[in-house]
Amino acid sequence: MKKRKPILTGFEFFLLRKILKIMKLTTILLLTTTMLVSANVYSQSTRLTLKFANITYGELFQEIEKQSEFRFAFSNSKLDPTGKIQINATEETLEQILNEALPTGITYEIIDRYVVILNASEKTMLTERQQKQQQTVSGKVTDESGQPLPGVTIVIKGTTRGAITNTDGNYSLTNVPYGATLIFSFVGMKTQEIPVSGRTNIDVIMAVETIGLEEVVAIGYGTVKKGDLTGSVEKVNASVFKNQNMTQITDMLAGTVAGFNTTQSTGAAGGGSLEVRGRNSLNASTEPMVVLDGSIYPGSIRDINPMDVESIDILKDASSAAVFGARAASGVILITTTKGGKGKPKITFSTQAGVTQVTNKYGPYDAQGYIGFRQDVQKIYHPDNPSFYYANPEQLPEGVTLEQWRSASSNPDADDTREWLSRLNFYDIEIENYLAGKTVDWFDEVFRTGVRQKYDLSVSGGTDNLSYYWSIDYQDNEGIVLGDDYSTIRSRLNFDFNPTKWLNVGLNTQFSQRDQSTVSASVDQMRYMSPYGSLFDENGDVVWYPNSFTVYSNPLINYYGQDRDNKINSFFSTLYANIKLPAGFNYKISYQPRFQFTKDYNYWSTKTIMGTTTHPGGFGQRSESTSFGWILDNIITWKKLIGFHNFDLTLLYSSEQNRYWASTLENESFTPNELLGYSGLQFGTNPAVNSNDTESTGDAAMARLNYAWKGRYLITASIRRDGYSAFGRENPRATFPALAVAWKLSEEDFFNVDPIYQLKLRTSWGKNGNRDIGAYSALARLQSTLYYDATNVQVGVSNSSLANYGLVWEKTESLNFGMDLGLFDNRLSMTADYYIMKTQDLLMNRKLPEITGYSSITSNLGELENRGFELTINSVNIRKQNFTWRSNLVFSLNRNKIIRLFGDYEEVEINGQIVKKELPDYSNEWFPGHAIDAIWNYKTLGIWQVDEESEAAVYTLKPGDWKAEDVDDNDKFEALTDKQFIGHREPRYRVGLRNEIDFLKNFTFLLFLRAELGHLAAFADARRYGGSDNYDRRNFTEYPYWTPGNPINDFPRLDANDGPYGGGLQIFKKAAFVRAQDVSLSYTIPYSIMQRYGIENMRIYGSARNLFYISDWPGWDPESLNGPMPKTYTLGLTFTL
Amino acid sequence: MKKVIKITILGMIIISGFISCNEEWLEPQPKSFYSPENVYVNKAGFESLIYTMRKDLIRPNVGWNNNLSQEFAASDLASLWSGLDWREQTPNSNRIYTLNRFFTNIYGYLKTANVVVSRIDDIEWESEDERNAILGEALWHRAYWYYWLVNSYGDVPFIGEEVTGPRLDFYTHSRWAILNKLQEDLEFAEQWLPESGGPGAVTKGAANHLLALVYLANCNFDKAIETATKVINGPYALMMQRFGKDKDDPVHDVIWDLHRPENFNLPENMETIMTFIHRFEAPSDAKIGTGSIILRNYNCAWFQAAVKDSQGKNGMVADGTLYWDSLGRGNANATIDGYYRYNIWSYGGQTWRNSQDLRRADKNWIDLHEIKYNNPKSVDYGKPVNLDYLINPKTDTVYNLYAMPFYITWVPDQEKQSVPSGGYADWYIYRLAGTYLIRAEAYYWNGQLAEAANDINQVRERANAIPVTPAEVDIDFIFDERARELFAEEQRHSELVRVSYIMAKLNKDGYSLDNFSEKNFFYDRVMRCNKVYEDQVTMLGRTSYMDPFNVLWAIPSNVITANTMGVINQNKGYVGDDKNVPPLETIE
Repeated sequence: MKKRKPILTGFEFFLLRKILKIMKLTTILLLTTTMLVSANVYSQSTRLTLKFANITYGELFQEIEKQSEFRFAFSNSKLDPTGKIQINATEETLEQILNEALPTGITYEIIDRYVVILNASEKTMLTERQQKQQQTVSGKVTDESGQPLPGVTIVIKGTTRGAITNTDGNYSLTNVPYGATLIFSFVGMKTQEIPVSGRTNIDVIMAVETIGLEEVVAIGYGTVKKGDLTGSVEKVNASVFKNQNMTQITDMLAGTVAGFNTTQSTGAAGGGSLEVRGRNSLNASTEPMVVLDGSIYPGSIRDINPMDVESIDILKDASSAAVFGARAASGVILITTTKGGKGKPKITFSTQAGVTQVTNKYGPYDAQGYIGFRQDVQKIYHPDNPSFYYANPEQLPEGVTLEQWRSASSNPDADDTREWLSRLNFYDIEIENYLAGKTVDWFDEVFRTGVRQKYDLSVSGGTDNLSYYWSIDYQDNEGIVLGDDYSTIRSRLNFDFNPTKWLNVGLNTQFSQRDQSTVSASVDQMRYMSPYGSLFDENGDVVWYPNSFTVYSNPLINYYGQDRDNKINSFFSTLYANIKLPAGFNYKISYQPRFQFTKDYNYWSTKTIMGTTTHPGGFGQRSESTSFGWILDNIITWKKLIGFHNFDLTLLYSSEQNRYWASTLENESFTPNELLGYSGLQFGTNPAVNSNDTESTGDAAMARLNYAWKGRYLITASIRRDGYSAFGRENPRATFPALAVAWKLSEEDFFNVDPIYQLKLRTSWGKNGNRDIGAYSALARLQSTLYYDATNVQVGVSNSSLANYGLVWEKTESLNFGMDLGLFDNRLSMTADYYIMKTQDLLMNRKLPEITGYSSITSNLGELENRGFELTINSVNIRKQNFTWRSNLVFSLNRNKIIRLFGDYEEVEINGQIVKKELPDYSNEWFPGHAIDAIWNYKTLGIWQVDEESEAAVYTLKPGDWKAEDVDDNDKFEALTDKQFIGHREPRYRVGLRNEIDFLKNFTFLLFLRAELGHLAAFADARRYGGSDNYDRRNFTEYPYWTPGNPINDFPRLDANDGPYGGGLQIFKKAAFVRAQDVSLSYTIPYSIMQRYGIENMRIYGSARNLFYISDWPGWDPESLNGPMPKTYTLGLTFTL
Repeated sequence: MKKVIKITILGMIIISGFISCNEEWLEPQPKSFYSPENVYVNKAGFESLIYTMRKDLIRPNVGWNNNLSQEFAASDLASLWSGLDWREQTPNSNRIYTLNRFFTNIYGYLKTANVVVSRIDDIEWESEDERNAILGEALWHRAYWYYWLVNSYGDVPFIGEEVTGPRLDFYTHSRWAILNKLQEDLEFAEQWLPESGGPGAVTKGAANHLLALVYLANCNFDKAIETATKVINGPYALMMQRFGKDKDDPVHDVIWDLHRPENFNLPENMETIMTFIHRFEAPSDAKIGTGSIILRNYNCAWFQAAVKDSQGKNGMVADGTLYWDSLGRGNANATIDGYYRYNIWSYGGQTWRNSQDLRRADKNWIDLHEIKYNNPKSVDYGKPVNLDYLINPKTDTVYNLYAMPFYITWVPDQEKQSVPSGGYADWYIYRLAGTYLIRAEAYYWNGQLAEAANDINQVRERANAIPVTPAEVDIDFIFDERARELFAEEQRHSELVRVSYIMAKLNKDGYSLDNFSEKNFFYDRVMRCNKVYEDQVTMLGRTSYMDPFNVLWAIPSNVITANTMGVINQNKGYVGDDKNVPPLETIE
């Protein structure tokens, strides 16, 4: 932080001091009230070393003024400035020195950097006056531009009494105790606590809330002030998202943090994938580790109520994450939940209600389009028939008579329409429905407007020795697809006690029940449904095959015929005790048990295909699983300030165990009937049982030292050694070191650039591990199968995986360079990071030629590199009365490269020289020197057109098929020579832009735009692959196709052939998008109104998520790519008592 | 303060406690799966491998569009209705067929046999007999799969032991080297396998039957005769009399009895050499799919809209007696051609219409005149189908309507409410009639035509067919006879390939190994017999087409590209064949 200027310059103070020296106490009191009072941060943080055998008080004070920013003044005190004393202080605070140095009867008062020497009676007077006196305090509240701020809430701390500013920004409060503290709060502004200190007039300038440097950030087994961070840590304050509908924590994170990538999920349960800084593993999980209230959290993120979250810290670089070593290679997300504050119980209730719909329609042909589609299909399948053969007899092409049309068939139906539909190969049911004018809109049957609701209640409060927070929420979401339902009840209890000065104990506990008994309609089957099919038969039963074609079943069969009960109960708790030890040591023991009980009961009745054809006579299944895991942490910390040297040491020993038990019971063919469903499994006649248990163990030891010199140079060093049972046979342990250095340039004396409020340079290096491959990956497994030998059932075994006992951790080594810059009193702040990550010993399922009988083996091979750049800019663009506009821009890019794979080389000739070149893994499409997400495929040049028939025939293709570049021009499409690198699957650039505008006193408008740019995604539909041979009996999704009459160049013919493309052809389309991800408007009801009802705060808001997007992607939403994406409208209400 | 110290000490004790016991702490504890170390330790473990191998026989022979049915669809007797154009059967894609997938599936089955071979001496056996019987069965399974492989794909990599680490350096072995190895293995297996072993077991007879085929493929005709003779002299006999479940139903005959899956494993059925077991009553995990699906694979798609009545209306519905009681929901995955339906039965002045051969008897087949309009709404309900009313007779008779060997395909579903596709059924792997035809072929190659005719006539006479004269025996007649006797049973395409190799090796009829992919017996016979190619039938926009190199199927390209440190050859004619290197000629 930049040095704060004294309020008076040295010379001014010199003059003042001359006067002060002869001033009376009343003058001093006046001084205290006119000066801006702030907490005695300076006096407590400044350490002085003074060693003098014989010194006068005057010389002492001068020496202190020399070493620090303190300035001394005297009242009419009895202190003789020439009185001699002896002083021997090392790194002590001013208070400590003065307490020691001043003679009895003389005392002092420190006001910011000003020290007034008083005698005891003056001090007593001052204190009594401060404590006893009650007075009326009034003043004016303005914003930083000097405009008055109406509607600011002022509360006397510890009471419920308060006032609110009027339209001119003025307020008045009666009977304010002398020593009271006033809390000034206003939406979007930093809340200020100002001690009255006897003043009657307090004018306050409210500052816009920016992420400040004093803010505390969690760093794993501890916290640090944001300004003192050495690593790359991003903090997300949950309050920013208070006006949005959130099912999951991930809803907050999508696009809001540079370098943190999530993709929104599409189901009712919400959620989404998580990834920090690009993919750093080929095969192990790249999901970041979640740490909840300081404890490693192995549970589902779904079980954490976003309303309970106070803040989320994302540890991106190796040094920050290194303390979590073994699993931190993919970054760490630290979630901090709300704790109770001091004071009377605070009750907050909020409710949200909303509706959800699909963002875009990518559905089957409607009734009219279906006929056109079928006409084109038939023309392709039967090229010999005249072109008018499939025309509607009522709309025959010019020059074609009905007689001609009829006689084109050797056996025409007497009814022209029936004849026509039968030429289109309509099934009977389709013909009858056509004639009856009956159609089904399958998109409407499968999709719906879902209703979402959420209710939250929390109570919090505390005393000096206790704080509590309890919350409960209920959420019920309907997804956009019929049958996709999700509901959850979550409750949290955070307790913290201080029974004695040296002991602190507490617990953070959460319980949740998720109901995921979803039986969704099939979006996939919807695509095949004929609009002239029937959903229900005449008895009202669901028709299995609506258009009689037995390959494609009714998308709603299971929705109507399957009974399901899927519940997940989870319990996670952190129980901790902190014990203060002498000499700055602290010992913490923390035990974190986690239980999860899952049941998934299903019954497929004989009305379903599953309950008849696949399993005769009804099929019931009960799956039950229990998991129990625990972690025990022992942590010793030591914090000590010695001179300019600040030490913060953390030592950890931790062990963990995870156990999982699963069993499944199945039965089929129920007699005498199936009425009992999954509750009567014993009445089936063909039972099956299965069990699957796993167990894994781990331990860890860690040491970390944070060191700071004069608050300018910051160093963090850590080392962690981890053990994990998956590697237990040969290499159970690995070590992960890290080091980070930061330099607060703006703290240096020589640094004096006016607009720069703070400037910090950071660099860090470290190694992290990834163990996420499954507890038994190193072992060879046998799979078993049942064999019936006509008399008995036997168990057969076969090898299913290869052993690799030498398996070790995957290690990511990363280097991070960062800069934090704050300008104009931090009104504009910027954080930039550049990183290089190298991952070695990749845990991967190395693909084997399938003739080995194995598809892969888990191995440690290769090296992967990620480089990236991240930028976050926060700014307050406009700050005027009644109008504030704040922006937050995040930008990130990540480039990755496979450096090495398996170490298999070939010798190739390049420019006449023999060069050793590493062999790629063609099966996985991994190429040394290229990105993991590089797309290696044929470069399509468009579609073969009619006049290119002979050129296409060279490749045994036809007009309407895909045309691609034949790199070596040998008239064959061969994977190894003709596939090229044509783009990337992951976005090249990610941008998020959040704009918040406060206006008309109580309104806040938010717009969050998000973009992912520069990437491609596979669009398999563009191959017309798999099943175009039955287009004559079913429907399909409506998207363009080539015909001689519609010679487009970006989609092939209906019956496209890609067989000649060696290694397979895939079509990629641009998937870049810009979306309005969140829009909201909120209104805070003025305190003056709510006060009457005893309500402290009340807010209503409306918001929309995924309102619109801009993209060239031809299918479903460009983010979800091959599935539908919901857009949600929400109304919400929150109030606090 | 004392308390503080106490708690601290306690904490330290806890910490040190965990540190001290941590080596065991991190030992992985498998819970719910077996590993090689705890299973392959005794005879029971090896028997478990044997059970897997026996079960593996089911999948390629059963289910929708199975590999056995594709053996017919790729032959002179039937075709691929939805893939008539063989240019679409590439190393990358088969459309709906699974020729590429089959290649890798077979190697999956071979893996289990190789585990037995590699680990056989890891345990103490009670006796040499015990060890060698297990080893013999594994070698038989390995030979069974390689025999199918080399006769479908030609030269392929030979893997003879358990793969225990990453291997990506495979090379192709010549088909002849592999056949020699199989011959050696089977000669060993034959000595140790039991005479009989219950349903599904591999016996001496099964080993000798396969060995005879391998000798034939190796042009070792004397040995083939000798080995086939061992089988014929063994505990087997052609079934000449009525037997089994319908024994007392006078409508049927012995040919019908022979083809009832319920009869395959009856002790009285002396003709069975080997079957696989696939029963409805087995627990569902012991079954594959929903049954044999044989109705769907071979029967025509008679119920479809193309089958019109005299008014041009749909004459058929997917319901009623045809649907449930005889034809099922046919899909013609292997589209039976006119050669098998008609031409092949012309002999001695008789044709399919009046042949005395029980295998083409009216009661055993469903001919077109027996397929009757079953749509109750049709004016022609109950009348035989009239081909003139078809929308497109040229193609519709290929797919929608044709005569079917009811006595073979009639495997009713055990579950009546499901779509009728063909229920669970045991199936023949080897039957004595097949052994006779092997020996007949060996005699033929040796020029012993009288002996050849005699063996063929054993089979023919049982079917009440007119005996053949030695002068009429040639390789085409032998393959016609195989078709008549072993439809839906033998590996048709593979057997034709085997003979193509024999003729090329013996330089018969102008064939040669040098230009095998350009000119071969398989292609010439298919073109001669299966008129679908000559007729240029177009279905689904695909016109029937086949090249001589389609004699061998493509090696899937993903296997070739994944094998980065070696070279697996592509068959000539397919894209990628220019990277081939000469195949390995020996197997150590």
